[in-house]
Amino acid sequence: MGENIYDLTSKLAPFLDRHLVFPLMEFLSVQKTYDETDLRHARLDILSNTNMVDFAMDIFTTLYEGKEVSHELIEQRSKVVSQLNSFQEETDPIFKIFAEKEVQKQLQSSRDQQSLMNYLVENHGFRPEMLDTLYTFAKFQYECGNYSAAADYLYLYRGLVPVTDKNFVVSLWGKLASEILTQNWENALEDLNRLKEAIDSGASNSPLQVLQQRTWLIHWSLFVFFNHPKGRDLIIEMFLYQPSYLNAIQTMCPHVLRYLATAVIINKTSRRQAMRDLVRVIQQEMYAYADPITEFVANLYVDFDFDAAQEKLKQCATVLENDFFLVACQKDFIENARLMIFELFCRIHQCISINMLAEKLNMTPKDAEKWIVNLIRQAKLDAKIDSKEGHVVMGTQAVSPYQQLIDKTKNLSFRTQILIPLKGCCYTEE
Amino acid sequence: MSSRFFMSDSESESSSDSEEYNKEPVGISAFTFSDEEEDQKRIVRSAKEKRYEELNNIIKNIKNYKKNRDMSSLLTSNIYKSLCIFCSCLSFEDLCKAYQKALNVVKKEEGGKIPGFFLRCLVDLEDYINQVWEDKDGRFGSSHILFFLELLLVSCVGFKCVYVVIDLFLFIFNRKNMSKNNAKSLTTLRQKLRKYTRDFEEEIRLFRENPDAEDSDVEKDEVDEDDDDSVMDDDEPLGPAAFKKEPSIPKEEKKVVESESDLDSDESDWPSDSDETSSSSEDDRKIEGRTRETFLKKKVDDLEGEKTKKEKIRDKRKTKKEKGESDDDTKDGWQSVSKKAAIPREKPKMFGKDDEVTIPAVVKKLSEIMAARGKKGTDRKEQIELLHELFNIAKENTLGLPVQIKIQFNLIMSIYDYNPSVSDPMKVDFWEKILVKIDELLDMLAITPELAIGEHITEESESLEKPPYRVRGCVLTIVERMDEEFIKLLKACDAHSNEYVVRLRDEIQTCKIIDKLLQYEEEHGMPSDICRIYLRKIEHLYYKYDKKAAKQVKGELPEAEVTSLNEMDRLCKYIFVRDNTDRLRTRAVLCHIYHMSLHDKWYEARDLMLMAHLQETIQHSDLPTQILYNRTMVQLGLCAFRHGNVKEAHNALLDIQSGGRAKELLAQGLLPQRQYERTTEQEKQEKQRQIPFHQHINLEMLECVYLVSAMLIEIPYMAAHEFDARRRMISKSFHHQLKNSERQSLVGPPESMREHVVAASKAMRNGNWNLCRSLLLNDKMNAKVWDLFHEAEKVRLMLGRKIQEESLRTYLFTYSHVYDSISLVTLSEMFELPYGTVHAIISKLIINEEIMASLDEPTSCLVMHRTEPSSLQSLSLQLADKLYNLVENNERILDQKPFFSRGMQLLRRNLKSDCCSREAVTVIVRRPSGMKGERDEKTEETESEKGISLWDTKQLLYAGSLSFLFVYLPKSKSLRKCWGPSGDVIQAGPKRLKNFVYIFFFNEMLRSIWYLI
Repeated sequence: MGENIYDLTSKLAPFLDRHLVFPLMEFLSVQKTYDETDLRHARLDILSNTNMVDFAMDIFTTLYEGKEVSHELIEQRSKVVSQLNSFQEETDPIFKIFAEKEVQKQLQSSRDQQSLMNYLVENHGFRPEMLDTLYTFAKFQYECGNYSAAADYLYLYRGLVPVTDKNFVVSLWGKLASEILTQNWENALEDLNRLKEAIDSGASNSPLQVLQQRTWLIHWSLFVFFNHPKGRDLIIEMFLYQPSYLNAIQTMCPHVLRYLATAVIINKTSRRQAMRDLVRVIQQEMYAYADPITEFVANLYVDFDFDAAQEKLKQCATVLENDFFLVACQKDFIENARLMIFELFCRIHQCISINMLAEKLNMTPKDAEKWIVNLIRQAKLDAKIDSKEGHVVMGTQAVSPYQQLIDKTKNLSFRTQILIPLKGCCYTEE
Repeated sequence: MSSRFFMSDSESESSSDSEEYNKEPVGISAFTFSDEEEDQKRIVRSAKEKRYEELNNIIKNIKNYKKNRDMSSLLTSNIYKSLCIFCSCLSFEDLCKAYQKALNVVKKEEGGKIPGFFLRCLVDLEDYINQVWEDKDGRFGSSHILFFLELLLVSCVGFKCVYVVIDLFLFIFNRKNMSKNNAKSLTTLRQKLRKYTRDFEEEIRLFRENPDAEDSDVEKDEVDEDDDDSVMDDDEPLGPAAFKKEPSIPKEEKKVVESESDLDSDESDWPSDSDETSSSSEDDRKIEGRTRETFLKKKVDDLEGEKTKKEKIRDKRKTKKEKGESDDDTKDGWQSVSKKAAIPREKPKMFGKDDEVTIPAVVKKLSEIMAARGKKGTDRKEQIELLHELFNIAKENTLGLPVQIKIQFNLIMSIYDYNPSVSDPMKVDFWEKILVKIDELLDMLAITPELAIGEHITEESESLEKPPYRVRGCVLTIVERMDEEFIKLLKACDAHSNEYVVRLRDEIQTCKIIDKLLQYEEEHGMPSDICRIYLRKIEHLYYKYDKKAAKQVKGELPEAEVTSLNEMDRLCKYIFVRDNTDRLRTRAVLCHIYHMSLHDKWYEARDLMLMAHLQETIQHSDLPTQILYNRTMVQLGLCAFRHGNVKEAHNALLDIQSGGRAKELLAQGLLPQRQYERTTEQEKQEKQRQIPFHQHINLEMLECVYLVSAMLIEIPYMAAHEFDARRRMISKSFHHQLKNSERQSLVGPPESMREHVVAASKAMRNGNWNLCRSLLLNDKMNAKVWDLFHEAEKVRLMLGRKIQEESLRTYLFTYSHVYDSISLVTLSEMFELPYGTVHAIISKLIINEEIMASLDEPTSCLVMHRTEPSSLQSLSLQLADKLYNLVENNERILDQKPFFSRGMQLLRRNLKSDCCSREAVTVIVRRPSGMKGERDEKTEETESEKGISLWDTKQLLYAGSLSFLFVYLPKSKSLRKCWGPSGDVIQAGPKRLKNFVYIFFFNEMLRSIWYLI
């Protein structure tokens, strides 16, 4: 149980939809960090306001073995079923319309929702009120846990309502949740971007509302970013380099920094710059939020305290293991964190003993040596191993002033050469 | 003398009838005088006689003064005053002179014994001067006496004694109404007399002890003296023995009698007066006793008749006096009640005896009183009293609280009104009164919950009688005004005096009132009002250090405990949400930040500051808010410093400290202006903006913190960039201090705070951290600066550590070229830092490429790489940098290619369309003087047939050697005068050129121009 001080579920949950919390709950029960019955209670609570009565009943029976399922649940079930039937009757004509091949074609070809709407109204007896029906039905389906159906309906709905509609943004949220819950990451990312656009352009909302929505979006997007293959780049792009989202994180949910830090660490391509910015943010928010991952970054890049970083790295492993979003990238993280430490080491030192290095990297000396050899072979490291002393000797990085001067000027003359033809073209154009 | 003549003339003109009327008798007396003089000439006398006579004459004159004083105590004329004093001085001086002359004779004849008559004269003179001096009763005179005197004056010109007589009249009786000039004369006379009598002190004493003895002596010597010396010549014959025994009594009596009689009847006095003069002249002539007797007999009759008259008059006067007294009493009474005086006058009007005191009546009266408010002739004090009275009446008649509230409200307003000037503080007693009144008002409001008070309620819709009471008025405004007055009062006191402390005690009461109102408003008020009163509360709260809150921040107290921090949080958050005016919110934010900084909530304070985005907008707000912003920034900086965030501290304090105007920026005092003098108006305004003393931030501490922060940043930076040509200054004022100390030929041990910091900086430059620390952290500095922090010990520890770290950095920068390698262990011993810290610092230096070195892990050594360039190398590196910039610039130009080519195309199209392409594009290039320094202003006109020299010109423009570029647009064929920034007109070539487009060499400008084309 000692590990769950770093568990963020309780912090994340307020910003998530009921349905989105379920996967987290499932994960927690697998990890067994919390008491199983407590979790079941929590789940029952969550379900109480949804239409997933069957699911609730299941949990109820496991929770209170031998007890009768409460009347409320049974009543609710019959109510939900009758509602479902009536909705289906209502929506039947709508789906008939959309089932027609012509309409399908039109749907795919048409981009403008207004013309599409006109087309449907004129040719297929579609009534504008039907849209609302569609929307409520989608909501109902979602509440019932029928996410893929909800996603389909909302797709249709979105295609037909104008952007200014009051339900438009809500439908986007619904769509995103449905896509996440059906694990359709490609669509989810698309919806995410669409929603982001809608929020950013939402001038009518008060700043506070926008902030709230952004915070939700940040949390929801975690599902997408840590599951979508491109997500790890995108999360940095969105959280770190879009000031409005960074502000939202800093003010509302500094705990998201954990995911951001992890993403930066496991991102190989643009790490340096991102790391510098991340360190700045982490330093700023030190007082508000700290966990092993952010502390690891701070130790390494602020204090250059390798021993402490090493300690933190060990803690990080357990934290990652228990985090729903990060569990998948645990291996990546450890590998990259090691590399980071080593890289820093090499930049600072000209001679390192392998034993010490092994200790710092949390490896046996033999493994460490092998690891270093691999790095040298892959030309990632300019170094030689002195096996007599058991040292790694770095290649000299010092640059002589001559070299500096040449580097600087060589580049210049080249660039000026490029300019000449450009200038010339101005003349010749005449 | 001329004045005397003039005066007599002018007066005689004005009173010619009376002059004629009185002419004869005066003429007679004049003749008698002249006779006497003739007599004197004929008689041959000894020197002694001569001298004595002279003396006697003068003495007689002086005596006459006294008599005349009695006689003409009615005189009020101011014109005579200077004259009379002058003359009395003269006559006294005459006396002195005459005595001086007679001195030889006296010595000879009497063996140095001073003649008794002379002594007596002196004594009398002294007495009467004292009397006059002490006499404070003013007397009203009548013009008749004046006329008489004028007559005398006119007819007796030339007779000194008469002058003197007249002068003395005036002198004696105008003492009361004397102008300053006269008073002065009197003083001189008195002083002279005193000085003079000092010589005769002994004799005078003796004389005073035994005046009779002297008298008899004198009588033996001089028969005439008897008459003269027996002071009251007229009364003497009546009872000489009695009078001789007690000469002072009749004197006084006579005086009283005469003065009284004078007051009422001049005519009755007039004859007696003439008698006296004539009698005295008779004395002079030494008439036989017989004649004298007959004269006297007649006189006695006269006198007796007069006496009865006088007695009557005395009675009359007595009654009159009593009357006067009673008059005075009523007058006094009137004066003392004058504030209330109007009440008896108003009272019947307000509440005639039979009138019932009803609410409408009271309200009507109230509005009557208030109608006078602000009018020119209104007695503000009286108004206050009136209202006070009205309030009491309302209270006595139990008209209900609403009425009382209304009156109280108006009463408070009129007390505010009492002080006509807004900038001056109100009087202390009024202030104390108003505190009480407001307190009462709030209490009354608190116990009548069904009452609505507000500015939105009109006079018509007021309801004072029935329960949903409605009263017009704004309590909030009153309390706000009270708060402002309180600040004004404080500012008016000397901050270091006890007075200030006493006044400051009222803050408790002020806060109490604000709290009361706050409570009331929370229940009844609208959000905007609540915001206002909250802000008032906040402004009384934010600068105070709460020990409990500080403990809470440290976690020693539970979060739930109510401290000023929680309170601030609650109040401010309410304002953040509810306030519609930006000003309140801004002020609340600033106060909140200030308070949090004060209690070391650094992160929260910083975040709030960042989130509020005040930096961009603050210059648009009002001055007090800007001052508050400055104060907040300072406090934030201090907080950052306490937390060891030196850089943040420096940044926060930089703006305040950089101009050396911290005092002014924090509104803690006026700085003398160098360039121009303030007008009084400006000074007044500035004084109004000042912050009261108890809210001041210690400027020395502020400066010290700033300088120390600057030192910690600047010294390592200077060491690192010693050879850098482009080294910039981080802190100007710090450099200023350094330079100042370098300029001194002899630097003594540091005394002031600044000297300490400078000395510490020098020590740090050499890596001598121990000296540096001891220079900053010693008893002197503790007393001056560090002990002012709430957690002084913590700050000192932090500072000591910072000094160690920064010294290490400085040391490495400065001396790294001396080392080939250096052991980290040695460094950690040298700087008494833990190994880990040294390692971390050095690692950071290496990573940031601040030093060219790397660590050798097995030996834990820092190995230097010899890469520090020689001076030639560094110069060539700089050159390379500049070249780099040039190329960058060139590329930037090409980045604008879209614009450029578009412009060119347009231009070309224009060129083609215009047939006279020779003049198509005229580029005037002007090189302003002083740009390069060597060339004078010169105009180059470049005409190009093809108009394509533009590109080259533009290049020149970019290179910075040209200032403008003008392009003619042939198509529009319009010419506008173009002015260069230096003010000279750009001459257009041919007249047909009608349109210049003028370009600065800034990229942005250029861009817009190409759009124009």
